Amino acid sequence: MSFPDAASVALRDSQLRRNLAKATGTIRAKRASVVGELPDWQELRSAGRALKDRSLVDLDAQLELLEERVSAAGGQVHWANEADEACSIVAGVARAHGVDEVVKVKSIATDEIKLNEALAAAGVQAVETDLAELIIQLGDDVQSHILVPAIHKNRAEIRDLFARSLDLPDLSDEPEALAEAARVHLRRKFLSARMGVSGANFAVAETGTVCVFESEGNGRMCTTLPEVLVTVMGVEKLVRSWQDMEVFLQLLPRSSTGERMNPYTSFWTGVRPGDGPQEFHLVLLDNGRTGVLADQVGRQALRCIRCSACLNVCPVYSRVGGHAYESVYPGPIGAILTPQLHGMSEGRSLPYASSLCGACYEVCPVEIDIPRVLVHLRGRVVDTEPAWKPEKAAMRAMYRAFASRRSFERAQRAARLGSRPLARRGRIPRLPWPLSGWTETRDLPEPPAETFRDWWRRERGEGRARDEKPVDGEIGGKRGPRDLGAAATPDAAAAPRATSQNGDARRAMLGRIRQALADRPAPVEVPREYRRRSERSRPEIVDLFAERAGEYRATVRRAAPQELRQALTELCRHRGARRLTVPADLPPQWRPDGVELVPDTGLLPNDLDTLDGALTGCALAIAETGTIVLDGGFAQGRRALTLVPDYHLCVVSEDSIADLVPEAVERLEAAVAEGRPLTFISGPSATSDIELNRVEGVHGPRTLHVVIAG
Amino acid sequence: MRVSLFVTCFNDTLFPQTGRAVVRLLERLGCEVDFPLEQTCCGQMHMNSGYAREATALVRRFARVFEGAEAVVCPSASCAGMLRHQLGTDADPPTPPVYELSELIVDRLGVEDVGAYFPHRVTFHPTCHSLRELGVGDRPLRLLEAVRGIELVQLPQADECCGFGGTFAVKNAEVSSAMVADKVRAVLDTGAEVVCAADNSCLMQIGGALSRQRTGVRTLHLAEVLAS
Ligand code: SF4
Repeated sequence: MSFPDAASVALRDSQLRRNLAKATGTIRAKRASVVGELPDWQELRSAGRALKDRSLVDLDAQLELLEERVSAAGGQVHWANEADEACSIVAGVARAHGVDEVVKVKSIATDEIKLNEALAAAGVQAVETDLAELIIQLGDDVQSHILVPAIHKNRAEIRDLFARSLDLPDLSDEPEALAEAARVHLRRKFLSARMGVSGANFAVAETGTVCVFESEGNGRMCTTLPEVLVTVMGVEKLVRSWQDMEVFLQLLPRSSTGERMNPYTSFWTGVRPGDGPQEFHLVLLDNGRTGVLADQVGRQALRCIRCSACLNVCPVYSRVGGHAYESVYPGPIGAILTPQLHGMSEGRSLPYASSLCGACYEVCPVEIDIPRVLVHLRGRVVDTEPAWKPEKAAMRAMYRAFASRRSFERAQRAARLGSRPLARRGRIPRLPWPLSGWTETRDLPEPPAETFRDWWRRERGEGRARDEKPVDGEIGGKRGPRDLGAAATPDAAAAPRATSQNGDARRAMLGRIRQALADRPAPVEVPREYRRRSERSRPEIVDLFAERAGEYRATVRRAAPQELRQALTELCRHRGARRLTVPADLPPQWRPDGVELVPDTGLLPNDLDTLDGALTGCALAIAETGTIVLDGGFAQGRRALTLVPDYHLCVVSEDSIADLVPEAVERLEAAVAEGRPLTFISGPSATSDIELNRVEGVHGPRTLHVVIAG
Repeated sequence: MRVSLFVTCFNDTLFPQTGRAVVRLLERLGCEVDFPLEQTCCGQMHMNSGYAREATALVRRFARVFEGAEAVVCPSASCAGMLRHQLGTDADPPTPPVYELSELIVDRLGVEDVGAYFPHRVTFHPTCHSLRELGVGDRPLRLLEAVRGIELVQLPQADECCGFGGTFAVKNAEVSSAMVADKVRAVLDTGAEVVCAADNSCLMQIGGALSRQRTGVRTLHLAEVLAS
C-alpha cells in the first residue's frame, strides 16, 4: 500500500488517533521540559552530530578496530551483508548450544531482519521481554512506535490480551497489575534462559564496548543471566571513543523517554570472567546501510540514535501512527531511512509523507536535516520515474511558464480563464482529479480578475524595461545527473552483494563501505562547547543528587560514618528484608544488624531469586541525573546480584558523587579500559508502556534505597 | 531606502491584495518600492517536489532579476526561506539580501509601530517556515501588538503545522485535512474574527477549511493588517 492509502485507513481509527494524540503529546511535553533544563543542549546536539559523523566518515577502519577490541576481550565478531545472513548466524549459535528458546530485548535491528521468524523456522522460539514487545508478540501485532511499540493499545485492550494469552481471567486493567502479570510470566523465562539476544544502542570502537539503554530491566536480564549472548547491531551504531558516551548519555534519554536518565544502561566489553555470559557474539549488520552511506545527502540518516523524538513532534506521525509507514522505522526518520535502505525500490511514497514543517529537524539530537533529506529523496524518486508521468509533465509545464515574463503572464491568464467555470461566488468548491483531494475538505479562492502585476502596471506603468532573460539549463528530454549539491546517488540496490562465508562477508562489507566513502568526506572536528566541569559546590552537588535520585522514587538517606550501620539496619527493618546477598568484599561497618548476609559465591539466578535483596556499594554517582553507577569494583560484586532480587540497598560515598555526566564518564574510563561491565541505574526499574503510566519494577528490583555516606 | 518587492508567483496570481498592501505599507514607512516585472517564481515548488535542477535554475533567474537590489522584500516566509537558503549556498551573505516582511520592517527599517489601526479580534498563526526555517521569532507579533485597536488572542498549539506543505496537501490530502481540522478547531477556540499569518499558502489552507465549514472567520496576510 502507498502511504496515503495506509494513512487513510489509520485516520479512520478514532481509538488509535486518541491514543496517539495522548501518547505523543505526553512524551513531547516531558522531552521539552528535560531538554529545557539543560543550558548546553544545543552544544550537546552539535557534538552529537559531529561524533556520529566522525565515525561514519571513517567507518571501515572503525569497524575493524571494534572487531579487534571485541575479539581481544573474548567476544566473537560476525559480519552480515544482509538479513538472512544475520539470522543464520544467530540461529547457528542457538544450534551450537542446543537451545530451543532465547530471551530477547527489544531491538529494531532484529525486527528489521525478521529474526524471530527466522529463528522460529529453525525451531527456536524467541521470547520478547519488553512489556510492549510482549504485548505485540502475544497479540500477533505490529509495532507502531520505535520506543513505545504498543503506543496504539490502551489498558483495556492490554488486559484482554493478557487475560486470554496468559490465562489470567481475573486480571484488572490497572497498569501495576498488568506489569506484575508480565513480571511473573517473564521471570520464569529469564531464570532458565541459556541464550540472550539483544540489539545495541552504541558500540565504542576503541574499547570494544557495547551498550543497551532501557527502562524495565529486561535488557539487564537478557545480557547478564544467560550463558551466551548474541548482539545484532547495524554498522552505523559505532562511535569512536568511550568519551563520546558523555554526550550520548545526555542526548538519548532526554530525547527519547523525556527522562534525565533512563532507569538502566548496561555496558559490556566482550566476556567478563565470572560475571555474565561467558560467550559473546557481535553481529555487524549491513542490510542496505552501505547504500545509505553512499548518498552524500542521505547518509546523515545514519547518525540516527533512534530516540524517536522526531516521531512525537511530527504532525503526520502523531495523526496516523506507525503502521502507515509499513516499516520497522516509522515517522520522519522512517520516511528517509526505509526507502534508502531498499535502494529506493520500496517506500517510494514515504519521502512525500511530510509537510516539510521542520519540527523533526528542530528536535533531532544529532541534527539530521530530515526535511532536506526528504526533498533530496523526492528527487531520487523523480529521477527514476518515467517522463510521461502526469506530475512530471505538469512540473515541466510549470517550469516553462516560469521561464520568462511572457510565458508566466500567459499562464496567469490561463489559470484565471480555466478556473472561471469552476468558481462559485469567488470560491472553487470542487476541482477535477488529481487536485480533487484539496477540495474534499477545503475551498480554493478564485483567481481574481486583476493580478498584482496588472495592478502595478495600471498604477505605476511598465517601469524601466528589462531584457527578457531566458532561464539557463535544459528542460525536458534527456537529462544528466541532477546537480543539487552535486550529489551523486549511486543505486544501492544495484551494488553487488556477496552472500557467502563470513570472511567473504567481511571483505564485501568493508569494500562497499570504502566505495560508499569514495567522495572522501573531510575528517570531522568535534566541538566540545558543552559543560564538562561542574560549577556547583560539593554540598550543592550532594543535595542535587539526593533530590534527583529521590525524584526517580528511590528512597534516599544520608548518614555520617558512625551512623551508617544504623541507617542500613533501619532501612532493612523498614523494608522487612531478612536475608540479603552481599559481595564478598563488603566492608564490615556496612553490615546491618539482624539481617542474614549471604555472600555471593557464585549463587545461581534461582538462588538469588529466593533472597530478599542485595546490599552493595557503587563506583560513583551522578548528581545531575540522579544516577548510581556500578562497575563491578570494590563492594559491588557481579551484575546479577543487584538485578535478580527485588530490593537493592546501595551505599554511595559522598565524595564519589560527580555533578555532570562528562565528569562521571571521565572517571569511569579506567574501568572500561579494563573491560569491566558498567551498569547505570537511575531509580527502580520502570515501564511506561501502558498508556505511558510509569509503573515501578518490571524486571529489576522494584525498590531502590540509597544511603549517602558522608 | 529602496526596496525591491518579490511578490511571489502565488501572491501575484491569487492574492494580489497582499502585494498591494506591502507597497502601501512600505511607502507609508518612507521606502521607495520597486517591482521588477521580470520576476516569476523562486523555485520552491520545484525544489520541494524533487525537481532540484529546475529549482536551482529558477533561483538563479531570481538572482539575475534582482541583481544589485539593496533589499528584497518577500511577503511569504516559505519563499523567503527557500531563497535565502539556496542563495546562501553560492554566496555568504546571500545576494541579493532577501527579507521576509517582518524582518525587513523590524531589522532593516527599525520600526515596530507601523501606525496601523485594526479594531478586530485577531489570532496569529506563526507558520513553520517563519518559525523554523527563517527564525523570525516574535517579530510579527511585536508588529501586531503595536497595532491600534487590535485585540490579539493567543492561538493554542500555534507552532503546529497547518498541513499545507505544497503538493503534500494534494498527495496526502487526507492527512493534510486532518491537520487543518485541528488548526481550525484551535482558531475557533480563540473566538477570533481574523486569522493572520505571514504566508498566504498556509492561509489558503486554513482559509479553505474555514470557508468550507462556513465559520465566517476571515484570513488576512500580516501585510494587510499592518497596512490598514
Ligand atoms: S532522526 Fe533524530 S530525532 Fe528521529 S529518531 Fe533519529 S535521532 Fe531521534
